[in-house]
Amino acid sequence: MKRKTLISVTLAFVAVFLISAAGCGKQATTPEKTAEKAVQPIVLGVPTALGSIEGADSLRAVQLAVEEINAKGGVSVGGVKRPFEVVSIDTREHEPGIPAHDALAALEKLITEKKPNAIVVGAFRSEILLSSMDLISRYKIPYICTIAMSPEFEKKLEGNYEKYKYMFRMCLNSPYFVDNLTKAMEFTEKKFSFKKVYFINQDVLWAKATADALEKWARDNGWEVVGHDAYPTGASDFSSSLNKAKAGGAQLLMPIFDMPQSGVLVKQARTMKVPALIVGHISPMGPGTAWETFEGEVEGMVHFIHEIGPMPVKAVPRSVEFNENYGKKYGEELRLKLSGHGPGPSYDAVYALAGAIERAGSLDPDAIVAALEKTDMDGVIGKIKFNRNHQVIYGVNPKETAISFAFQWKAPGVRVPVFPEVAAEVEIELPPYMKK
Amino acid sequence: MEGNLVNVLIYGLVNSAVLMLTSLGFSLTFGLSGVANFAHGGLYLFTGYITWMFLHYLGLPFLPAALFSIVIVGLIGTVIYRLILMPVRGIVLSEVIATFAVGVAILEFFRWRGFVTYEFNLPSFVKGSITIAGVNVDYQRLFIIAIGIGLAVFLWIFSHYTKTGLALRGMAQDEYTALSLGIESDWAAGLSMALGSALAAVAALAILPLGLISINIGYDVLLVALAVTVLGGLESTVGLMVASLLLGYAVIITGTYLSPHWMEVVYLAAIVLGLAIKPSGLFGKFKELEERV
Repeated sequence: MKRKTLISVTLAFVAVFLISAAGCGKQATTPEKTAEKAVQPIVLGVPTALGSIEGADSLRAVQLAVEEINAKGGVSVGGVKRPFEVVSIDTREHEPGIPAHDALAALEKLITEKKPNAIVVGAFRSEILLSSMDLISRYKIPYICTIAMSPEFEKKLEGNYEKYKYMFRMCLNSPYFVDNLTKAMEFTEKKFSFKKVYFINQDVLWAKATADALEKWARDNGWEVVGHDAYPTGASDFSSSLNKAKAGGAQLLMPIFDMPQSGVLVKQARTMKVPALIVGHISPMGPGTAWETFEGEVEGMVHFIHEIGPMPVKAVPRSVEFNENYGKKYGEELRLKLSGHGPGPSYDAVYALAGAIERAGSLDPDAIVAALEKTDMDGVIGKIKFNRNHQVIYGVNPKETAISFAFQWKAPGVRVPVFPEVAAEVEIELPPYMKK
Repeated sequence: MEGNLVNVLIYGLVNSAVLMLTSLGFSLTFGLSGVANFAHGGLYLFTGYITWMFLHYLGLPFLPAALFSIVIVGLIGTVIYRLILMPVRGIVLSEVIATFAVGVAILEFFRWRGFVTYEFNLPSFVKGSITIAGVNVDYQRLFIIAIGIGLAVFLWIFSHYTKTGLALRGMAQDEYTALSLGIESDWAAGLSMALGSALAAVAALAILPLGLISINIGYDVLLVALAVTVLGGLESTVGLMVASLLLGYAVIITGTYLSPHWMEVVYLAAIVLGLAIKPSGLFGKFKELEERV
């Protein structure tokens, strides 16, 4: 019996092997494949934290842009139309305890094994972005970052342009983000006479840089800073800070977080009845499903999404188009859950690269870099132009610059745009628990 | 300052209850059978996700969904013992590696399947909050305190005054003597794994409604369970309660008077200091004699 079984399994294995071998041979000789081989694809590398929401959404946005471009025949390189091909690797850098060298090793593995012509999305954490700059300079690959935000990137590039010129950033950086948040602070001061603020941030480079700059601005502009705390990634109890904020009479609570557990902060603030308006960035508050997830306790929070993408903004037609196409390809449910950071610039990064490659007429990295520097296009995030340190310029008018965006959660679970003026539908209002 | 003190007292107690509930299953399994179940965090998170699926995909009400989850996770505990732990039973290092691998496999399976978005949460038992001495506390946190204390008392009575409990403890104290008295080793270990896993499920159902379900919570839960049980004594219920109180208050005091930045360090410090100063824990008995020798 055993012998019969063994013979049957062996025969089946041989049959499967022969069929696949025959299939492979046939595949290798099809004319279509031969033609494809003649036109090599342009390989786009996506090394990022694919397990994070920002990373996963950004990869989908890249694939959407690639599909659209390929559907039109691809990118013209010196007169030959070539399709994009996406290769990705998970750097897992968003997870607590993953050391920088693991993320860098993943990046190098992608570069050496898949040999990408360009990289988009890239580092999730600023720490990884900064430490990958030397690696990229060694391999000379055009790289458009769309998630990591530290301003140190520009300082490093300015300090040694020739070495780091292959790197660009399409997403918002911390100084622009700070600028937007200070505008919100000015507004609350003017409209509600607020003067007392409490900052709470995640203890990671971008969030720390943002909150530190905000604190400095607040002190310079006559605000009373009731407190400023930093929480390690993974923390899930914020009662210490919330109690101090309540006891100190903070009118404005400004959280800066990108970890899932930070959603607890808003729920806990409501439980502890902290009478303050919450204005800032807590990633779980961004998706259209947050109202349901947090049982309505997000009401009143003003959430700054870093770039346009997750919501259509009428003043930026490409954002409306992007949302429609994203919904068609991935479904309305995934569109509603789009992250507020990453997808818009990731989608635009592919188009910017396509344009630069066509203008350069080759895949030579130096030629692509020179062409990218001259980018001037209308994207999902607004008008796209790089400054001399390869950072996309952000402002408040989408006809001139890229823009950031904020909405306020209102009953019965809608996200109402409140910033910037060109996109706002209403002004920021006090939540019900603050109205007397 | 006074407001801070009252807040520390109340939220320290809440935090202690969270720690105790989180660690109860881990401590119980070790105390009753000597098996260190490092899949504890994985089972905790598994409960969160399957309950969420029962609620959203099958449309079950919360109570039956929660009961199903507890039973399923308890059965999984037994299956882990039968399939994975039995072949390596008695080799402590292999038991730790095997259960840790199972825990990581569970957690990473959910990451692989895309359970990383922000919509995964469980509903609160009762919404709303009350004010105690000027500090607002929600009902869910009060439930956690009640469930934590209730379970600890129940388990103490179970393990000290029921035949099954005494048999399980006997097995943990001296396997050969227990065997000679007719207590079957694999039955005892399988049952304690089931009980410990079911307790991880109860903890998840009570604590996860405070925030979102995310993969990394599974790793944090294991760290917390280790810190509490190492400090209190691996098999001691009283030690578990005392260690939970010590750590719960230490974390809140650190966050309030030093900086929230150092709150997570408290757990690691407890493990390191506990092992360095008193490896058997504050109330551990098993190794005490060995240490004296």
